[in-house]
This record gives sequence, structure tokens and C-alpha cells, in this order.
Amino acid sequence: MAAASAFAITPHKVSVCVLLQMYALPTQATPPFSSVSQHNRLGLYILSLTKSYDDILEPKLEDLISQLREIGGSLGPWLIDHLTSRVSSLSSPDDLFTFFSEMRGILGGSDSVVIEDNQVILDPNSILGMFLRRCVLAFNVLSFEGVCHLLTNIGIYCKEVLSNCMPYELHRLDGSSNDLESLSECENMDLENFVFGKVNEEIEERKEATERVSFHLHATQAICGLVEDVEVVTDPRSKHHDKGTEDCPHVHHPGTESQDVDPYGEVFLRTNWQVQGYLMEQADAIEKHGGSVSFNTFELILRQIKKLAPELHRVHYLHYLNSLYHDDYFAAVENLHCYFDYSAGIEGFDFVPPSGSNNSARYEIALLCLGMMHFYFGHPKQALLVLTEAVRISQVQSNDSCLAYTLAAICNLSSEIGSSITAGILGTSYSPETSMGSSVSVAQQLFVLLKESLKRAESLKLKRLVASNHLAMAKFDLMHVHVQRPLLSFGPKASMRLKTCPVNVCKELRLCSHLISEFASETSTVATDGAFSTAWLKNLTKPMGSLVLTQENESGENFHALQFCAQSSSIPRSVLQILGSSYLLRASAWETYGSAPLARINALVYATCFTDSSSSSDTALVHAKLIQHLAAFQGYKEAFSALKVAEERFLSVSRSVLLVLKLQLLHERALHRGHLKLAQQVCDELGVLASSVMGVDMELKREASLRHARTLLAAKQFSEAAAVAHSLFCMCYKFNMQVENATILLLLAEIHKKSGNAVLGLPYALASLSFCQSFNLDLLKASATLTLAELWLSLGSNHAKRALTLIHGALPMILGHGGLELRARARIAESKCYLSDPSYSVFEDSEVVLDPLRQASDELQVLEYHELAAEGFYLMAIIFDKLGKLEEREEAAASFKKHVMALENPQDEDPLLNLL
Amino acid sequence: MEEDEVVDGDFYLLAKSYFDCREYRRAAHVLQDQTGKKATFLRCYALYLAGEKRKEEEMIELEGPLGKSDAVNREVASLERELSILRKNGIIDPFGLYLYGLVLIEKGNQNLARTVLMESVNSYPWNWSAWSELQSLCTTIEILNSLTLSNHWMKEFFLASAYQELRMHNESLTKYEHLQNTFSFSNYIRAQIAKAQYCLREFEQVEVIFEELLRNDPYRVEDVDMYSNVLYAKECFSALSYLAHRVFMTDKYRPESCCIIGNYYSLKGQHEKSVLYFRRALKLNKNYLSAWTLMGHEYVEMKNTPAAIDAYRRAVDINPRDYRAWYGLGQAYEMMGMPFYALHYFKKSVFLQSNDSRLWIAMAQCYETDQLHMLEEAIKCYRRAASCNDREAIALHQLAKLHAELGRSEEAALYYKKDLERMEAEEREGPNMVEALLFLAQHCREQKRFEEAEVYCTRLLDYTGPEKETAKSMLRGMRTAESSFPLMDIEHFHP
Repeated sequence: MAAASAFAITPHKVSVCVLLQMYALPTQATPPFSSVSQHNRLGLYILSLTKSYDDILEPKLEDLISQLREIGGSLGPWLIDHLTSRVSSLSSPDDLFTFFSEMRGILGGSDSVVIEDNQVILDPNSILGMFLRRCVLAFNVLSFEGVCHLLTNIGIYCKEVLSNCMPYELHRLDGSSNDLESLSECENMDLENFVFGKVNEEIEERKEATERVSFHLHATQAICGLVEDVEVVTDPRSKHHDKGTEDCPHVHHPGTESQDVDPYGEVFLRTNWQVQGYLMEQADAIEKHGGSVSFNTFELILRQIKKLAPELHRVHYLHYLNSLYHDDYFAAVENLHCYFDYSAGIEGFDFVPPSGSNNSARYEIALLCLGMMHFYFGHPKQALLVLTEAVRISQVQSNDSCLAYTLAAICNLSSEIGSSITAGILGTSYSPETSMGSSVSVAQQLFVLLKESLKRAESLKLKRLVASNHLAMAKFDLMHVHVQRPLLSFGPKASMRLKTCPVNVCKELRLCSHLISEFASETSTVATDGAFSTAWLKNLTKPMGSLVLTQENESGENFHALQFCAQSSSIPRSVLQILGSSYLLRASAWETYGSAPLARINALVYATCFTDSSSSSDTALVHAKLIQHLAAFQGYKEAFSALKVAEERFLSVSRSVLLVLKLQLLHERALHRGHLKLAQQVCDELGVLASSVMGVDMELKREASLRHARTLLAAKQFSEAAAVAHSLFCMCYKFNMQVENATILLLLAEIHKKSGNAVLGLPYALASLSFCQSFNLDLLKASATLTLAELWLSLGSNHAKRALTLIHGALPMILGHGGLELRARARIAESKCYLSDPSYSVFEDSEVVLDPLRQASDELQVLEYHELAAEGFYLMAIIFDKLGKLEEREEAAASFKKHVMALENPQDEDPLLNLL
Repeated sequence: MEEDEVVDGDFYLLAKSYFDCREYRRAAHVLQDQTGKKATFLRCYALYLAGEKRKEEEMIELEGPLGKSDAVNREVASLERELSILRKNGIIDPFGLYLYGLVLIEKGNQNLARTVLMESVNSYPWNWSAWSELQSLCTTIEILNSLTLSNHWMKEFFLASAYQELRMHNESLTKYEHLQNTFSFSNYIRAQIAKAQYCLREFEQVEVIFEELLRNDPYRVEDVDMYSNVLYAKECFSALSYLAHRVFMTDKYRPESCCIIGNYYSLKGQHEKSVLYFRRALKLNKNYLSAWTLMGHEYVEMKNTPAAIDAYRRAVDINPRDYRAWYGLGQAYEMMGMPFYALHYFKKSVFLQSNDSRLWIAMAQCYETDQLHMLEEAIKCYRRAASCNDREAIALHQLAKLHAELGRSEEAALYYKKDLERMEAEEREGPNMVEALLFLAQHCREQKRFEEAEVYCTRLLDYTGPEKETAKSMLRGMRTAESSFPLMDIEHFHP
């Protein structure tokens, strides 16, 4: 790849060389460095300049000057002065030649140089030394035309600053404009036949022979006469031309030609390595922030890079990512194909093994990417076709790591869409890996695939993949029911036992976390190395700037602070991301198993520790979880204000998670307040969000129709509600969503309870209970127990004792982990049990019933659950009536009336809706 | 004009001589103070060319390792300023306008450029350069129709050429044929007609035209690469080598010549050498579209798919409407066993050239592969292929086969019959014929159309092979059935 040797000498690099000279020969400076720390700081600054890739383009002299002003402290003006005068004094090709031979003097190792006092001898193999050597080499391979171009560019580079800063900065360089005129004329002088630099070349050759080339420098190619110069001219965007040339515009005027063309001065790309690093960073940023990166601005930058470096194909990949995250399907497909047509999958993928034949194309990676793209756009069928093709090609090419990744992608795909679509295709075309009969269900296929994928990843030592496979396994264990003896299914169906294994989930999650300890010992990669220096440069301009300026005299402190700042990124972002997802999964696992505090803790851990490294959609998801928690435990008011904050934070990003959450909360609240029309409307909106394709967005579809059934139930349309719940049950059964069925069974029990058919409700409640038991859904089990108790209670007062025992059994779980609604329900049911128990007398111990009722009504008022609150107050009023406490009775009755009125007239002004 | 010559005769002549010696800046300098229209044009044009020359030089000087790079003509800005003032003051001649148009195109101001060029050709229609610049600005038929051009026979040439560029080959052909009535000895028109015929894939005609053309104009290099393509397609070894030799002697450093030699080596099966010559053609003209595509073909032959893909992709990026390159990309990926991935490219090519049966067939074959096995889609593609003049008659046969495979014997029989008719019309024989006959015979027998079945069986008897035996036994079986069936009927009716 020719692109690897893109190290061209540019004016900026000349500037850096000048600074290096200042650093290395401090005695030459008229005011020498006042302290060691000052000297060191300059060194560090130069180091970061050579490594940084903040931007694709090199900074202009102006930027350099302002940075120097910040870093240099009292020495700043002198540094700037020296730099500008040195750079602008280069006025003929010969000056450049002498400049670069001087530069060689500050390198250690050459005997000819007289060593001065105080001189810092640069180790030729240090980073700075290497940089210097590369500059010198790049200069020496320049043809004479190249030198002329460099000279012109230096002229333009200086000119802008001189014209901008003249009044206050450059008092010394009054005569400079004349110099520049002659400078740019130089380029047009006919000096083609000038023989030059013979001696320099000789020296360079000798050096080349001795040096250990550890960087990408294809010396042969460079010597072949390719003029290494990436200097380019941008499109003129605005005009500013000399007034002096107006009178005879048609005459060719050497002094003005460059200005006519380029008002901004020349633009230089950084080295190839730096541009690649920049692109990698940008890719990370896009993947992290998704759609929030502005499409057009980035597209403009990419277009510029493409113009400057048409052979840098990675730009197409960035184009692809950009259009992918802005949901532009056609552009994404186009750019993806384009990228792989040019690069053949060799460029830019870190998992390509270096030992293998590097020339062989890796189009299987193209397939993998295409598959993931289809998956992203919600085309599961195409995605699967492409991924199976990827499996096949990876096998043919024996690219094991790609195969492992592809298998992981397929697992991901089939667990996400987990539906009948996959069944046919997987069964037929994936036979080489797993020869399974068609009788095996999708889930079992998925399980086998996951195992296979994990095994491959482990044998190939792809640590990240292993970790994410463990995560996938945990997810699978969480969501799928294990049928015991899955592959040997003889005997009647009844003999198979369904259950989930929380232990497996925990085990997988823990295995996933091993990743971090593995990375702690690993040395940092090239990419992180680069990011390191960029971070340093960023910190420099922000908080460190002031630190440097204020603590001028204390030598040690600054240095430590610098090191501290730079340590932020010792673990790769991808590792952190996977770890973060493990916490996210932990949170959802605990949510499913019904431990609210643990779910909350894990979500909080994620939100505090991993938001920087994770994608914004994941962060939004965690926020959604926390807000949901808030709604269940502190009422809607808190939740809605938190939601508002979250919405502002994730303005354009992943709206869907927050949108769904918002609709859920609105629905819940509307149901509680008895605002059924609104509830139905919100419910419909939720249903619309799901894709219409079969088997896609199952979670959302389930949610929507569950809520639909609950709305119908609240509207007392029992048979319709039951019908919806039945069809939902069938759907969940069909798509193997057993865990979700527990909820639906409970809802059916609820429907029968409300409709007055307690006897019909009992089997549903019992079924739900047994589901909960085998799937370890503890909180749901408690709530099912509560429903069961309520059902018993409604069968007559002779069952009150039994109901009470059931409730007391469930109370610890409910009070420990349940939300406001559940707790209130339990308390009301408890007191109802007491009241209907013939052996209980109010007069003996009224607090046993009054206390729970009071607590329940407080909680229900927070939730604005009018119906249940009214019931609570009603019971309280009756008890007070019996006890003869008339005043309290009136109070309770008034509250009862208030809630009943609110329930019947739900169209009241709603202050919370204004919040949204 | 004549006044000009009186006033600045000497200066002008000096400048013109310099100009002819390609000393552009010198020419411009001589004309510095001249104000005549002709002198102004020559000065500006000389400056423009000087800028172009420098641009070319810089392009080579600055070519960086990451590819590169747009060196610009540094004269353009000042020229634009001057010419726009001249145009505003109304002292600009049609040639000045032409130059202004050029400058505007370089600046990217297409709309104004179009207007200016239109003014130029309307006041002086015989400047073909102006016409062709104008044509380069007409990228869609809408733009072309929106031009207001005064009637002149040059306009007909322009339209014909523009139609050709817009891939409206039939329209273009009629225009050229019409023009040929007036300019009956024009080689140019003949070559253009050949071009149109080539795009319509009428190779025989192209060959005839070029034979005549080369008789009249034996040192012609322009457009001859197309002739070589035709010779290549017809596998005329000696004619192609003769052509290559002749062109090589005329001017070996023309991209066309390199291309022809490349074609010759390709036909000889020496693909490495062929690639070498295509590369040379591309060095001479980096945007030489067909060379990229042809080089892609060579790489495919050499089984160097990544290089082929790269070459095709470059062709596509130069002209995204080049269906051949898209097709090539598709083929390359299909060769690597990535039929689904290849489909993307076939779809592209089919979109651009929807009446080419080869493209549809290629796509159908992708769908038909073992990996995809999407037979319904394949059938759809074959049907399209069959409807647009499928020369090799693959589509009908495949359609019949696929239908038979899917158990739709009615449709299968229909297509076999069509295929059979076609083979009869074209007097072709072969295994397809046997297969069709056998299927039809069996099908008719199942349908109880014994007479028809008998006809097919008897025809099968003319062929050797196992089918002959099958046909014999079928005939025997049917005869016994025929004799026994009526008997059974009788038995039924006369109990």
C-alpha cells in the first residue's frame, strides 16, 4: 500500500523542527530556560505535536503561536518570536538545505558535530529523534521542484500570520514582506537544471544504512523519484486579493498567483498514520453517539479528505458509518460496497492476523459488515442470507476469526429477532457446522450456535469476542427457558420440565468480567498510544493551561498533573463497553428476577462508570431503567421531571428507548387516573412504534398488546380484554417467549377476578405461580400470590384465613422489592382479609387494619391511583364509623369522595402533562 | 476583424508564431497592450493554455503517496475577471465567449457556462469545440431540451452527439443517417454511426463501416479501439493483429493504440501482456473508461479477483452509468462464491441496461446457485431475459427446467415448447433439443394426449443415446395402452 509512506515535509513540520532545535540547543537562546521544568514542558509539547491527530489537517502557524503562548509562560513571546523569524528567514532553496543540515547536528550519533555545553543530544531512536530523521529524510528525497513547492508553502504559511499579527507581535520583522515577495518568486524561476545537494545525499545514504528503520517508511519507493508531497490547495471560498494587482489584472504576476487561488493558505494533511488515527477516532465517535453527529459537517470533512488523499479508502468506510447512523440506506450500501471493492477488506481491521498472507483479499469481512448493516436496518432475512454467505466464505478462506465473529453476529441476529424466519434458513444452509434435524427449535439452534461460537472465540483467543459471547450466553439464559434434556426428546411432552437457571446467568456474567483483568496486563496498542497524546493536547488547552501559567515556579507539580491527566485511557474503550454491557445485563437480570435494589445498583454503576465509553443508546437505556424505577417507587412526578432531563441529554440520540418509556409512563398514569381514552391513545401509539414485519420488535409488540388488554380491563370490557390476552399468550408461545407468559397468565387471572369469576381466575393464578417458580421470577411470584389471595378472598369469608396466610407469605418480598402500587395493593388486601375474617373484631385491635390502610392510601395518593385509593378510604371510613370516630370518618369519606370524583371526571387539568 | 489586423498586425503575427511554438507566456506578453478582439482572444487563450500546461506539470510534481490531488489552473481566476468585464461591456467575440465558457466550467459555474457557450455557438456555429464543451454540460435530456439554439446544420451534429452521450442510440442513429444524406463523404459521420451501431450491438454493421472507413482514412486512430472490440468479439485473430500493427506504426503512444494491442493479447490468451498495455493506456489517459473495464476482464481471466474488482470499481467511479463495469464487479464476486453480494452489482447493471438479456441471465444464475436457491426470483429474471431478445436462448431452456423442478409441468411444457420452436426456427440441435422433446413426450403422455406424445417420441428416435430407448419403450407402452383402453371402455358400457 503506497499510503503507508505518507510522510511529507510541510511548513508545519519545519516549524516543529525549529522548535526542536530550540529545545536541543538551549544555550543558543538569548534568555535561556529559567528552570528545568520549563525546558521539559517545551519538550513535552513538541512530543505531543509530533504525535497528535486532533484533526486531519496540520495546524497553521497561528494556532501554533497561540499554543506556544499558553505553554511557554514568560518565555512564550521569545519562543514565538524566534520561531517566526527563523521560519520566515528561509527565503531560498539553499536556506532550506542549510537548515536541514543544521538539524542533523542536533541528532546524537554523528561524530562530526561539535557538542556544546548544555546541549540535549537527541537519541536517534527516540520519538523526537525519529521524527527529526524522518523530516530530514523526507527533505532529502524531495526533487528540486518539491523544494520549490515547500518554499512557496512556507511563504504562504508565514504570510498569513505576518499580516494578522503584525501590529503587536512581530516588531522585529518589518522587512519581511519584501522577503516574501522574493520568496514566492523563487518558485517560478527556471532552475530546473540546478545540480544540488550531492553531499547531503551522500550523508543521508550513509545514515540510512546505519539506521534501524522501525517505522513505516518504504525507502525504496521514496527513492524511486516519487515526489513526496501531499501539499494541496483547497477550493477558494472567499476572495481577498491584493489591491495592487487590480490595475493590470491580466498580466501574469508571480507575487499574487497563490493568493488568487487560495485565500486560506495551503492545507496539509498530517501523516498517513495520524490521518488513519483520526479516522479511527471519528469512527468510534460515530458508533458511540449514533445519529447525534451532524451528518453534513462530517460529510464535508470526509469529502475534503477524499480530495486530499483519494487513495485513502478508509474514508469510504467512514462515509458508510455516517450514512448508516443517519438511516440513509442507499448511501450506506453504496459506500460499504465501494469501500470493500477498493480495500478488499485488508485495510484497517485489527484482527487480520499479520502472519498470514497479507495480500489475500478478505471479502468475508465485507459480507460480515453487510450482514450487520442489514440487521441494523431491520432486514433480518437479507442479513441472514449475507451472514450465511460470510460463514461459507470464511470457511473457504479459512479465516477463523472472521468465522467466529460471523457466528457471534448470527447469534445476535437470531436472539434479537428470534423467530420463525430463521428456522428454515438456519436449518438448511448451516448444515456444515451443526447438523441438526429440523425438529429442533430455534432457541435450541441458537444455543448450539452460541456454544459453538464461544468455543471458537476461546480457541482463537479473541478476548473481546469471548467476553461478548459470555454476555450473549447470559442473555440467552436469562430470556430462554431450558428444556431439560433438550436434544433427546423421547417420551411425551409432559415429561419435559421447563426452567431457567439464574446461576448460569451469574456465571456467564462473571466470566465476562474476566476480560478486564486480561487487559490490565496487556501493553497498550498503537491506537491508544495516539489517543493518549491527543488527550494530552486537549487537556493542555483546557484546565492545564491555567495550571501551567499559575504554578510557573513549582517545578515538580505540573509534571505529575500532566501524567495524571494522561492516564485516563489505559483500558481500550471496547473493553469498557463490553464490561458496561455486562452491568446493564445484570440490571435487567435482577429486574427480571425481581430484586429492585440490585437492579438499581447495577444500573447506577453503569451510569456512573461506563457512560463515557458506551454508546449513547445504551446510556439512554440505563436512564430509562432508572426512571422506571423512580416511577415505581416515588411516583410519576419525579419520574417525569427525570425523563425531561434525560430527553434533553439524549436529544436526537436513540429517541426510541426514551419514547417508549414515556409512552409507558403516560399509559400507566392514565390507567391509574382513570383517563381511559388517553390510555388507549397512548397504547395505540406504542403499537405503531413496532415494525410491521413478523418476528421483529417482539418485545415492543408484546408490551403494546399487554397494555391494550389492561386498558380494556380498566374499561371493564372483560371479554375483549381476555381475548386480547389469549391471543397474546398464543403469540408468546409461538415465539417461545415463555418467561413473558407468566405475566400474561397473571393478567388473565386479574381479568377473571375483576369480572367476578374468581373460580375461573384461580387456575390462571396458579399456572402463573408455577411459571414464576420455575423461572425464578420472585417479585412476579409474590404478586401472583397476592392475586391468588385476592381470588380466594372473593370466594367468601371462609377463605379469609387462607388468603391472609398467602399474603403474609408474600409480604416480605413485596415490601422489600415491590413498587408503590404493589405494596398498597398488598396492604389493602391484608386489611380486607382481616375485616372479612369472622373471628376478627375491629374493636379489639383496630390498628391492625388501620395502619396498613393509612400507609396504602398515602402511597396511592402519590401514584394518583384513584380507584384503589377510593377503596382504601372507603374501608377506613367504615372502620371509623364502627369505632364511632365521626370526625375521622368524615375526613376519610371526603377523601373517598374526592378520589371517586377524580376518577369519574378525568378530564381535569393535568399539571404533569405540561412537563412533557 | 480586418481593422485589428491593420493595427496590431506585427505584434499579432509575432504572438501567433510564439503561440504556434507553444511559448504561451511569451505570446501573451507580446500582446499585453493590444486591444483588438482577435489579439485579446489570443492573449487570453495563450494564458489559459500556459496555466493548463503548468497544471499538468504540477500534477506530476505533487503526486503524493496517497494518490492526489487537484492542481489547479492558476490563470483561471484572473481570466474570469477579465472576460466577465469584456462580456459586460459587450466587446467580446464568439471565441472569447468560448474561452469564457471554458473558464467558467473550470470554476464550476455550470449554469452561466451553459448560457455563455450558447451565446457563442449561436453567433458563430462553426466552432465545434464550443459545441462539445456545451455537450459536456448537458447531463440529462431535460437540460438538453431546455437549450435555445438557433437553427443551423451544426446543431444537428450537436444533437446527434448529445443523444449518443445520453444513451439514446436510436435517436442518435436517425440523426446521423439524416446528416449522411448531406455530408455523404464524411468519415466523422460514418464513425459515429458505427459507434451507435456498436452500442446497439450490431457488430456486423460496425465491421462493415470500419472496413470502409479505414480504406478511406488508413491512419485513423480515433474510435478504432471500438473496431478492435468488435474484432475481439468475433475472434478475428489476423484482422485484429493487422489493425494493432497498423495503429502501432501510426502512433504507439495513443491510449487507443495501447487498448487495441491489449485486446489482441487478450484474444491470444496472454493476459499479463494485455494488462501491461491497458496499464499503459491508462497512464496516457487516467480516465479512459473502457481500458479500466477491459483491464478488469483481464484480471478476471488471470484469477486475480481483487485487482479485477479494483479496476472495475475505478471504471464505475469514473462513470457510474457504465453497466459493463457493474456487471464485471458482479461476475468477480460471483466467481468468489459470493452470489448474494454479487446480486447488488447485477442489480445495478440491470438497472442501467434493462434490455440486455445477458445481465438478466447472470442475475438469474446468481439466484439459482445452491447457496441462495431462490428459484422464484430466478424465474422472474429469466422471464425478463426471455422477453428481451436472448441470443443464446439460455433463458427459455432454464425457465422450462426451473418450472419442471418446481413441479409446475404446465408452465414447463409451455417453455419447452417455445424453446423447441425457437430451436427449430434457428435450426439448432443439441442436448437441449433432446431434453425438451423427452419432457414434452412424457408430459403429453401424462396428460393423455397420446397423439402429441407420439409425435415427440418419434422425433426422439432420430437421436442416439439413452433417450432413444426411453422413447421406444414409451411408444410401445402407449400403443398397447391405446389398444387396451377402448376395450376397457367397451367393457364398462356393455356389462
